[in-house]
Amino acid sequence: MRWGMVVDLRKCIRCYSCIAACRVEHFHPMRITWPRLIAVETVELGAPKTFTYPVRCNHCKDAPCVDVCISGATQRREDGIVWVDQNKCVGCRYCIIACPYQNRTFFSKDKDTGFFPGKGLTDFEKAGKKQYPHQTGTTEKCNFCMERIDAGLAKGLKPGVDRESTPACVNMCPARALTFGDLDDPNSEVSKLIRGNRGFQLHPEFETDPSVYYIEGKIGE
Amino acid sequence: MAKIQEWMIVHKYMTDYTPQTEWIERRGILVWIAEVCTSIGTGLYLISLFFSLVPGYEIITWWGMLVAWLIIMFLKIPLHLIYFGKPLRFWRTIPPFSSAWKTSWFARGIIFSILFGTFAFIQLVFSFLTIDVFNIGLQFSAIGLATLTGFEILFKVLGGIFAFLGGIYPGFIMNYCKAIQFWNSGLLPVVLIIGGILDGCALLMAVGLTPAGAGIDGHVVELVSAILLIVNIFFIAVYLLSATYIGSAGKVSTMKLLKGSQAPVFWLGVIILGMIIPLAISLYTLTFGASIIPLLIIAILLHTIGAFALKYCILKVAIYKPLFVVNLGV
Repeated sequence: MRWGMVVDLRKCIRCYSCIAACRVEHFHPMRITWPRLIAVETVELGAPKTFTYPVRCNHCKDAPCVDVCISGATQRREDGIVWVDQNKCVGCRYCIIACPYQNRTFFSKDKDTGFFPGKGLTDFEKAGKKQYPHQTGTTEKCNFCMERIDAGLAKGLKPGVDRESTPACVNMCPARALTFGDLDDPNSEVSKLIRGNRGFQLHPEFETDPSVYYIEGKIGE
Repeated sequence: MAKIQEWMIVHKYMTDYTPQTEWIERRGILVWIAEVCTSIGTGLYLISLFFSLVPGYEIITWWGMLVAWLIIMFLKIPLHLIYFGKPLRFWRTIPPFSSAWKTSWFARGIIFSILFGTFAFIQLVFSFLTIDVFNIGLQFSAIGLATLTGFEILFKVLGGIFAFLGGIYPGFIMNYCKAIQFWNSGLLPVVLIIGGILDGCALLMAVGLTPAGAGIDGHVVELVSAILLIVNIFFIAVYLLSATYIGSAGKVSTMKLLKGSQAPVFWLGVIILGMIIPLAISLYTLTFGASIIPLLIIAILLHTIGAFALKYCILKVAIYKPLFVVNLGV
């Protein structure tokens, strides 16, 4: 079993729902964002255009971040999810340097300003401190909502099919541009999408074998 | 309101060549200084170890090794620790609490530094006893002296091995990063270790200017320094040339260094101040046979400036390939 995601760029409408869903799910502090929208500015027929690409941790099979971690905080589970044990991270930032996809963030104290600096915490932030405490001085990244997956599997649900055990960003995407499932299962939706649409990974030349695939298309059109 | 929407602003990085900033900007400056200390400290220890084999150099090289040990233990390691987001979790990086050394050069480097600190300290104690650094009349029986010398040699070998490993591992840390093509060259660790030994030569000359170096002929160190300078210039040239062949990002980094924003630091700091002028001074001294102390001091200072400039350049011009390189049909 290897969990993976397919991002269908033909369907993405740049609505930021994936980012919002992740923020709510993991109570991200103000300046932390696990999934991101990357903007590419081009000029077509003299007119400037901005295209965006949703990116997140690629949960690589041969993840450089796992290899370089000096404390064993970054780990790869048997189901392919790469996650950071924040209780072990020493904050050396070698993983940030080594990640070819730049999808890791160091949560420094200056990023922990709160949504309204100097005016106390909102109820959402207070709840977040209890429900999903983020530790300053450590590195963070997408974990494919592994808590949801584990809880769902414990109930006999199928991640990618049953909403309760599917990553929040996938559930929230109104255009169904994100699909989640088992890459090792040839009959899973993700495997079919990759096969049928020539899904590609980012920077295959780095030989990291990412678990996030893209299907090309015109973004936001 | 603007603050609320900050997270909605699209991220523009990675759509072009993006520099690494974690290890050179803001607190990252600590990493840069720590790397310079690694280079100078291990280089000074290695060159001192080498010259400690030359009769008459025992005292000056003992001081050189002591300075090297102090640089590693009280500058390099603390600077790295201060840089860590959670320095008090430092113990998590060391066996048996972690097996990260199996794959991580950084974790290996921490072990190398600790072992170097241990072995070099024991060696310094044994050397102190055998050569009687302060000339206080330490006396040992023949068997005692032979035992002490035996242990001294053993710990010199161990100290030397871990100084070498400690000097070369930063190169492998960077070399491992495939995404930063400028670092992804096998020549980088070689350039860094030679540069470190070169910096060590300069510091050993500085130690030679103190009373500990009285009666020492500094020309031998000058000669080694001049040879290493020429070797290092050659290796840096080959490294830069090969970096342009690794890929587009490697070429962009090299151009940034040679013609772009970091060109002044590279040409002035690394090449002219760090290499050409010290080499000219060394050649002058070797040719005319007289060491002019002010010139020597200038050479030592310029060597050190060169050491800082070289590490700065290597860290500063490191860039990632753009994230989207395939034709997406846009």
